[in-house]
This record gives sequence, C-alpha cells and structure tokens, in this order.
Amino acid sequence: MSDFGVDVPEAEGGAHAAYGRAVRRDRGFRVVKATLAYLVLAVFAVMAVGPFLYLLSPSFRQSYELFSYPPEWIPKSLYWGNFSTILHETSYLRWGLNTLVFATSVTLITLAIDTMAGYAFARLRFPGRTSLFVLVLATLMIPTAVLIAPLYIMVSRLPGWTHAGVNTYLGMILPMVASPLGVFMMRQFMSTLPEALVEAARLDGASEWQIFRKIVLPLMKPAIVVLGIFTFMFQWVNFLWPLVITTTDDMKTLTVGVASLQGQFVTNWGVISAAAVMTMLPVIIIFLIFQRWFVQASMAGALKQ
Amino acid sequence: MTSVTTEEAWDALTLSEAEYRSAGTRYRLRRSVRAYLFVLPYFVPFVAFLVVPTFWSVWLSFNKGGILDSAKYVGLANWREISNDTELTGSIKNTAVYAVEAIVLVFILALMIALLLNRYRTGSNFFKLALYIPLLAPAVLVGLIWQFLTNYDFGLINLMLDALGLDRLNILGSSTLALLTIVLAEVWRGLGFWTLYFLASLQNIPEELQDAARVDGARGVQRFRRVTLPLLKPMLLFAVVIAIIANFQVFDTVYVLTQGGPHESTSTLVWFIWKRMFQFQETGQGYAAAVLLLGIVLVLTAISFLLLGGRRRRAS
Repeated sequence: MSDFGVDVPEAEGGAHAAYGRAVRRDRGFRVVKATLAYLVLAVFAVMAVGPFLYLLSPSFRQSYELFSYPPEWIPKSLYWGNFSTILHETSYLRWGLNTLVFATSVTLITLAIDTMAGYAFARLRFPGRTSLFVLVLATLMIPTAVLIAPLYIMVSRLPGWTHAGVNTYLGMILPMVASPLGVFMMRQFMSTLPEALVEAARLDGASEWQIFRKIVLPLMKPAIVVLGIFTFMFQWVNFLWPLVITTTDDMKTLTVGVASLQGQFVTNWGVISAAAVMTMLPVIIIFLIFQRWFVQASMAGALKQ
Repeated sequence: MTSVTTEEAWDALTLSEAEYRSAGTRYRLRRSVRAYLFVLPYFVPFVAFLVVPTFWSVWLSFNKGGILDSAKYVGLANWREISNDTELTGSIKNTAVYAVEAIVLVFILALMIALLLNRYRTGSNFFKLALYIPLLAPAVLVGLIWQFLTNYDFGLINLMLDALGLDRLNILGSSTLALLTIVLAEVWRGLGFWTLYFLASLQNIPEELQDAARVDGARGVQRFRRVTLPLLKPMLLFAVVIAIIANFQVFDTVYVLTQGGPHESTSTLVWFIWKRMFQFQETGQGYAAAVLLLGIVLVLTAISFLLLGGRRRRAS
C-alpha cells in the first residue's frame, strides 16, 4: 500500500506542481489517519493491560489504605503481608498443584486421542466416517451445563454407592477429555498432509501405526503444539466442572480456590488482589515466552475450518 | 521331471476372480478395523462423557433428586414447575440481552481493530500481545478485576466519576448497571480472541481482490462493504455460531461478580441451573432448565445457519 510508487520531483510550474501538491496533501492526510489509527489501537491496548496493573497496587497495600482519599496509586512502602497471608492461611500452593495436574493431564490425554482420531477422520477410510465426524461436530453445541448433572452422578456413583469419584484427580480429569474441539481441529490440520507421503510409506510396507508415529506426528508438530496450548488454556480457566466436582479445600483448582477466597476474606481486598496477582503472573510470563505459539493458536483456530 | 506349461504357471501366480474379490474384502475389512482402532480411544470417552450424559440429561428432566439420593421419575412435573417460574423467564431474558449486547459489541470492536491491524502492520505484534493478555485470565480473575474497577469506594470508574465531578455509582448494586458490567467484562476478555480471529480471516482474503477493486476506483468504505465483508461472511457465520454457544453459557463472571443479583437482574440460564442443582437441591428444575438451554442453543445455531449460510453460496 505504498503511494504512487515514485516520488514526483519538483518540476517547474503547471501540472507537475499541482500533482506534487496533491501528493503532499495526500501524504499529510495519510499521516493524520495513521496517527488516529495508532491512537485507537493504543487506547485498546491500555484498556486490555491496564486493569492488571491496577491490581498490583492494592496487593502491596493494607486493605484499609485502599479507602484513603485522595487515592494513593503508588504505595509508599511495599507491604508483603497479603502474599504471606495467601501462602500461609490458604491452600494456594495446593490449588496451583491441582490445577497443574488437572490441566496437564487433560491436555496430554487429549493430544494422544485427538491426534489419532483426527488422523483417522482425515486420512483413513472406514464405513461411517462422515456420519461419525458429523456426530462429533454436532456435540460442539452441547452446553457444559447440560452435562454436569449426569457427569456428577456418574463420577460419584459408578465406583460404588459413595462419593467415590468426587474430589479425586481421576474424576476431575476423565470427563474433560471428551471435548470434540480437538478432534475437529486435528482433522482440519491433518487434511493438509500430502497424501503422497503417506501413500509412499504404505507402499514401503509401513504399518498404519508406523506411518502415524514416524511420519504424521513429526509433520504435525506445530499443529499439536497449537492444540496443546488451546486445551491447556481451556482447562486452566475451566470453572464450572471443578466447582461442581470438588468439595474439599485441598482438591480445588486455582479458579475455584481464588473464587472461594471472597467468602473467606470478604472485603479483604489486599489479600484477594494478591491472590489474583499470584495467579496471573506465572501465566503472563509463560505467555510472553511462548507468545508466538499462543497467537498462532488463535489465528490457526480461525483459519483451519 | 514334471513339465509345467506357461498357462499352469500363470494360474498358480494369479488369483481367480473370486479369490481376488475375497482378498479385496479382507483387505478392506482389515483397513476398516485398523481405522476403528485409531478412532476408538477417543470414542470411548466421547460416548461415555458426552453422548450418554446428553441423553441422560433429557431423561433426568423427568426426574427429581439424583445428586445426593437416587433419581425418582416424576413425569412432567419439572417442566410444569419451570414453566411458571418467573425467575427462569427472567434468566432467559437476561441471557439473551447479555448475549446480544456482548456479541454485537465485541464483533464491532474486534472487526474494527482487526481492520486497523491489517492496514497498519508496523508494531501490530505488540498490540496483538496486549489484547491477548485478558484471555489468559480465568473468568474468576476477570470478575475480581471488574469488582475492583466498579467498587463504590475505590473502583477506578468511580474515582474517574469523582474526578469529573459526577456522583459515584453503586454499579454492581444497580439492577440496570450490573448486567452491563458483566457484558463489558466479557467483551473486555473476548476482544483479543475475536480480533485475532478476524485478523486471520482478513489475511486470508487474497490481496489481488482488494487491488482489483482499488484499480476499479472503489473507495475504502466501498471496498469494505463490497469486497471484504462478503468474503468474510463464511467466517462470520462460524464466529456467530461459536459466540452464541459460548455466550449463552455465561456463568463464571456472574458467579464472581454478582451471584445473580441484585434482584435476580443478572441471573442467567446457567446460573439458574447451577443454583437449582447444587445450591437449592431443586435438582429437577435444574435438569429441565438444562435441557431447555440445549434446545435454545440448537435452535439458535440452526437459525444462524439459515440466515447466514444461505448467503454464503452467493458470496463465494
């Protein structure tokens, strides 16, 4: 979108000069437009990031200081008490561990079974392939709220007539690996695999499993990373299911745990914001390290339909 | 020494038509079995934790109990109860208002930002990252952040109102403003996702089409309406469907910000379901409302396909 390609030299008078003036006017107009555009973008960037910074201040102050007037944005001295309250009076670290176990397990299982199913739907032939895939797609529409009661009953009852699966990792993890989104994504990615490659390996006498392990998976590494990040983030923010399936404090995930702090520390905003800061900080750091993959994951989600 | 004619040797080496066919059948069978083995590890949890629970949920809507005790069949009692429940109709209305406001607002803003980022590429990475960060926050944190922003005593919004010389507002305590806050919180969180989504869609449009339109003298707005928008339509359909499914399930922010209040003005469908199932032990009504939610989502998805999908063929 460069301008007319060549800079018009200042010619003596006439049409040339008029043309040069027009180009300059156009350029001026363009600078104004670009400035406005970046201004708009900057406003939205500040609105996106600002609130997180806004949380930092109260986390380093005593709660009563929040009510001082005029408001003090930058605390005169750092107060670390909120953080030690979180670490010592709540099961925060345990919640972090639970979240890590929960989200990592769901992600690993999802990756394993979704790549296999996605490969079969994209590249293998079997009766009922289309109808099964349509069935998987259709379940994208099923709201979680429809599933929680039957899932709760299943998880709590199946192993016996006690609350066997409630408050266990297995009970939390297993029902979440059935999400259809990954199969859908993997099928779309796998469809881009060159057919000739798979065919060549088949002619060389490789078994389907060998083809999958040795050829398909290595080629699909970027797609697998994308799906991994997607799944992990999805479970990292998952709230309704962990809320329902955990009743004891030491089995809560971070999302459920931090939400429960509001009951425990009713208006102790310093403590609550400290918990929020502690929860967000590691994620933001991980995000900044792997930013390329995150952004790619979202863009790919849009493209590979 | 036995002599073998060429014909006999040929027969021994090749398969008869029947043999050939059965070998083909066997091959296809083996191929299918192997393919099923690839699909099976997903389909076991899929059937167990998605298909079965969906039908179970429909069955449960004719039952009471089940969560702490065993379920009891009660016929249409749950459905009769919720059909007279004004809290449910209110929740449906709130959910619809919320979803429409959130989707329209976030789509307009995201499309605008995506167009800007598509046009002005210098530094666009920085803006993408910044817009992405709210996505990393669990809804619980989004809720906390918005509590901080809207708090009467020290919330940023009220401090700004103060600075402007206006009266402070009890935002989450107001029946009119509370739902709007939940809308804004969701827009704030979802903006990065939809911006990247639209940006990817825009970058998918062949540059030549834009150039051709430009050569033909189409101005910016015209180009957007006549070239960009029609080409975006298939992406838009998918986006609308996903957004409807996601936004009709709003729960987390309600749980953290308002707990459905004040005066049930932010009670959404999933909030209603959750409360009936796990707080009030009115499980039957929760079951019925869950099936109702499923129906609403299905109908809305079908409508989106009919409205937007029909035009897709003309555009492409």
